[in-house]
Amino acid sequence: MALDSWTLFVVFELLIFLGIFPLLVFGWLMGAKGRDPIRDAPFESGQTHLGEARQRYMMQYYPYLIMFVVFDVVAMFLFTWGLAFTALPFAQGFLLLVFLVILVAPLGYALYLSSKTEIW
Amino acid sequence: MRRLQGLPALDEIVSLAVRIITSRTFLEILVFPGFLNITLSAAFLTWLERKVIARVQLRIGPLYAGMWGILQPIADGVKLMFKEMIFPELADARLLMLCALSLMLIAAAPVVAIPFGDGLVIANMEIGLIYVFAAVSLFPTVILLIGWGSNSKYPFIGGLRSLFQQVSYEIPMWFSALGIVMLTGSLNLTEIVKAQQNIWFLVPQVLGFAVFFTTVLAELERIPFDLPEAETELVMGWMTELSGVAFMIGFLAMYIKLYLMSALITVLFLGGWLGPPLLPDPVWFLVKTFLVSSVIVIIRGSFPRVRIDLLLKAGWTRLLLLALANIFVTVILIVLGLDWMWRV
Amino acid sequence: MPDLAFLALSGLVIISAIFALEAKELIYGAVGLAFSLIGVAGVFVLLGAEYLAMFQVSVYVGAVVVLILFTIMLVRRESGRIVEEEEPCRLGRAGMLIAGLVAVAVAEAMLILAPLSPETPEFYQAPLRELGRSLATSYSVALVILGLLIGATVVGGLTLAKIDREEKADGTAQ
Repeated sequence: MALDSWTLFVVFELLIFLGIFPLLVFGWLMGAKGRDPIRDAPFESGQTHLGEARQRYMMQYYPYLIMFVVFDVVAMFLFTWGLAFTALPFAQGFLLLVFLVILVAPLGYALYLSSKTEIW
Repeated sequence: MRRLQGLPALDEIVSLAVRIITSRTFLEILVFPGFLNITLSAAFLTWLERKVIARVQLRIGPLYAGMWGILQPIADGVKLMFKEMIFPELADARLLMLCALSLMLIAAAPVVAIPFGDGLVIANMEIGLIYVFAAVSLFPTVILLIGWGSNSKYPFIGGLRSLFQQVSYEIPMWFSALGIVMLTGSLNLTEIVKAQQNIWFLVPQVLGFAVFFTTVLAELERIPFDLPEAETELVMGWMTELSGVAFMIGFLAMYIKLYLMSALITVLFLGGWLGPPLLPDPVWFLVKTFLVSSVIVIIRGSFPRVRIDLLLKAGWTRLLLLALANIFVTVILIVLGLDWMWRV
Repeated sequence: MPDLAFLALSGLVIISAIFALEAKELIYGAVGLAFSLIGVAGVFVLLGAEYLAMFQVSVYVGAVVVLILFTIMLVRRESGRIVEEEEPCRLGRAGMLIAGLVAVAVAEAMLILAPLSPETPEFYQAPLRELGRSLATSYSVALVILGLLIGATVVGGLTLAKIDREEKADGTAQ
């Protein structure tokens, strides 16, 4: 089988894994055993930690995540369009931009929603 | 579908392994531009950053480990290897270690497609640019997992901020590279460099370069987009609860990412390895890459930090609009027929 | 040799999916899903759709899994664990095993009764420019409809998520 790009990619990643994993094992073995409540407390610059750490922070930016998924898919189509742009007949080269323009409205809505922190 | 008779015999696997190991590509993978290249360059960049930041802040920086402190990264690495990996009781140690490992795998992945010279690339992928973008897009997932797995307020907030920041700036990054794809008609990074033989893409894609550089700063979580780390607020951000070897891996992964993103900027906008024949090609590439990294490091010492909501909004509004304007400019260039300069 | 890669990737997909289903913590389930989707991207590479594989990684593992993780992390939990410990249903496991054996038997019967051609089809990798050209010309209407559909979905999803909060928070923002 030819040494094509993906075989080399797998070989490279395997190499990195084989290089890093022993370091982690070494570090794990080097560590002290046993739990110590002071050493194992979460780091808060000396203060004792109070309350649950995993709370609802920054929920108002949730629309940004959804818009990222949408524009990720848009980017997939846009890159194929960009590659073929010079081969397209003139008028049809711009139809894909309609696709992009349509999605400006949800983006505006998402931006509007994320500026209102009280509803999240 | 056919019956699975095609399972290779053991000697076939062994012969393939031997063929891989004795090939020139494997040497490339190991030494340059692969494993040794990125680790040594990342270590060098840690030293460079500390020295440059120190000079910007009228200090001296690392001084004692070797001449000019050049062995400081090695000293740091050895120290970190022997420090204990303290995982808090509430944190998920296995998840954190798995994620630190994944961070390194993801950070090192782009080097497979980036050409350091003519033909000096590990795997000349036809979709090289998209491959690099896909590798970079995996960072938010891992960082979110590290932030959550640490089960502590500072890392969690840092992880969330990093997630939103990187996610908001990835789209302008991709759109600003689209202009180059349109001008060359290829996603192959070697062809993109070769297309810059007449004029670098810095010239027609000035807007794209500005947007791309800004988004790379945001992807690297560098000042002025430093809030996920925010040293005065969040200790070390999402890396707070990593210590010892796990911290070394995460820290090194961040600097490998810096190195490879600078290399990507060089390939896309600064003509890659092209230059007057005074120096060999890879040396030109390294010179340009370290120049870009130095600019990124100097920016760290020179700018204040942007607030998180302004940061995210700017990524989605201004940068996206500028990237789209860049695409518009590129369309005009192509329609006017000026793209012959970049079609080899 | 491609069969070894295919076996390895299929193993990754299936084993990660099983792990994702059986994991006690939802976060581990999401991590299993991420590995499974990376395996699917690998299968796309084997089929010659490299471009699709890269965007599979970028969209699914990079965005959708992040959305899932974000949702898991920020759902309000009263009891501390969402997944309650259940009695493992032994009849269910036996049923799964029997269903698996039936599926394998049916597949083998199909292969015997209607043998497929022993030649593998030619490995065809569509050039991306061709893909872009056909998307922009032949499928442009489909793309516009897709854009409208995505826009409607996003607006609907955001409105639903928002109203959910408004019903619960009567005056006191959280």
